[in-house]
Amino acid sequence: MSFLKFIIKNPFRRKTSAILSIIGICIGIVVIVALGGITNGLVSSFEDTIHAGGADFSISGKETGNSAYGTNPIDANWTDKIANVSGVSEAMPIYVILTSVGNDYMNTLIGIEPNGTSMADISIKEGRMFENNSSEVILGKIYADANNLSVGDSLKVNGEDFKVVGIYETGDSNMAGGVFTSINKVAEINGDNNSISNIYVKVDKGQDPQKVADKIDSMYGDNITTISSVMEMEQMADMLNTLKASSWGISLLAVVVGALGIINTMLMSVFERTREIGVLKAVGWSNSKILTMIVGESLVITIVSAILGSVIGFVATTFLGPMMNVTPTFTPDIFVQAFVVAIIVGIIGGLYPAIKAVKLPPTEALRYE
Amino acid sequence: MDNIIEIRNLVKSYENGHIKALNGIDLTIREGEFVSIIGPSGSGKSTLLNMLGALDLPDSGYINVAGYDLTSNKKLNKFRAQKIGFVFQLHNLIPNLSVVENIEIPMFTSKLSNKMMRKRALFLLDIVGLHDKAFQKPSKLSGGERQRVAIARALANNPSIILADEPTGSLDSKTSVKILAQLIDLHRNNNVTLIMVTHDMAVARLADRVIEVLDGKLVSVG
Ligand SMILES: Nc1ncnc2c1ncn2[C@@H]1O[C@H](COP(=O)(O)OP(=O)(O)O)[C@@H](O)[C@H]1O
Ligand SMILES: [Mg+2]
Repeated sequence: MSFLKFIIKNPFRRKTSAILSIIGICIGIVVIVALGGITNGLVSSFEDTIHAGGADFSISGKETGNSAYGTNPIDANWTDKIANVSGVSEAMPIYVILTSVGNDYMNTLIGIEPNGTSMADISIKEGRMFENNSSEVILGKIYADANNLSVGDSLKVNGEDFKVVGIYETGDSNMAGGVFTSINKVAEINGDNNSISNIYVKVDKGQDPQKVADKIDSMYGDNITTISSVMEMEQMADMLNTLKASSWGISLLAVVVGALGIINTMLMSVFERTREIGVLKAVGWSNSKILTMIVGESLVITIVSAILGSVIGFVATTFLGPMMNVTPTFTPDIFVQAFVVAIIVGIIGGLYPAIKAVKLPPTEALRYE
Repeated sequence: MDNIIEIRNLVKSYENGHIKALNGIDLTIREGEFVSIIGPSGSGKSTLLNMLGALDLPDSGYINVAGYDLTSNKKLNKFRAQKIGFVFQLHNLIPNLSVVENIEIPMFTSKLSNKMMRKRALFLLDIVGLHDKAFQKPSKLSGGERQRVAIARALANNPSIILADEPTGSLDSKTSVKILAQLIDLHRNNNVTLIMVTHDMAVARLADRVIEVLDGKLVSVG
């Protein structure tokens, strides 16, 4: 028999008590894992949106209308005006129209400047960027895969043959299936040189996007509007930070409650085994070996709890999350957190009973009835 | 022959000195000797045995066992592991472990591999005649069998001294005879020093020497 096997066997001598401890700590672990998965899920879905356009916020026309993005186009010269507002680092126009693309009678065609990839938060994975005012397009990976297109193929846009020159990827799910060409080409197709749909705005380093957006609103609020959703993201980020903090708060609570439960269980166990501990001392076990045994037993309970709690938390959140419109995302750090909590609880909870056991005088332990 | 135990003026009291369990003991025991300790209940026999096995420290006096000075607190667990085998009145076996695993418990202090531990434990079970019970739980064994397991456990680390505190105190007389015969055999065959506390004068006389303890003092050394 190995020392490890001996340690693993011991906690299960008092089955009910071991199971109760496991349930208690398990609940804490489930909460940590579930909250972690949900928080991560929210973070990644919001980060998608926050990164929309890679910009801090965007600007659109005042009135809603029948354009592709739900707002009326705005005059192209707004780009320069916005770029000149102090605090604005970059302003990039984007022009979205509906036209025939490939087999689709109506699809969105997005026009940006050839150097606007970072603002649009897209990165070319294959091929290259389109050239200005040319009959070239780049396709989102999702669109390319769905339509079986690759670099070098041609795609009919508004009746004209365009060449697929690149495939891009993006963190923005709204853009993942898009078709991009140069903004001038879109203007040409649309027969309107003076309109754009939106302006993506990036503020200077150190500037508060909210303040810059407010300034633009107060200067030009009669004609254009800043899309506040980007700002709401900041509030969302705050909320997510709160969620993350509460996940750690619950971890701390689990540590305290779990440790108290384990201390109780292990004290009972040491008390019941007083004679046995006397025998271990009589046969020559060192204090550190006895300490290792008791702390080890405590760790067996908490690690079993961590395994069960992680599995239950993962399965339950994966199935229940979508019902609450959250897609949980599990990253290794969540499980690391769960196991770190379990191990801390195990050590803290086992240490005091272990010290009690070590301090038992062997003669008294052996006299104990 | 060399003295394996030397005790001079050993004093041990409990309850802040109110109970003088040992009140000035002088004793030497030679290597390989079989000594019986008799005396009324509460006279200090177990206390003396505990001192010999370094389960407790004396208040004053000199005690040297197998070359270890037991008046200081150093390396006592190593001493117990390597030099001493205890057999108590109660078998004190660990209930959730099999018989063979119980015998392996003292070997956790040695450097034996798990495989070697198992081999030695089975060998010791052979010696006490319980090879076929190796993988049973202690609860399935009779009182006498459990005490034989306890003897095998005491032999686990090949001790120089076996300290037996009323080893047959909770057994019927027929079983007692068997257990005693076994202990005495082990002592003879392996030249192990055997020190045994007993109530039974007939048993005590089997020893090379009988010591009587009364109120924490040796009254007769026969
Ligand atoms: N750990 C202890 N704490 C307090 N009193 C003890 C302890 N061990 C022994 N004694 C007392 O010391 C005296 C001798 O005890 P013991 O050596 O067990 O006697 P015996 O084994 O001869 O029956 C008794 O009065 C007993 O109550
Ligand atoms: Mg006694």
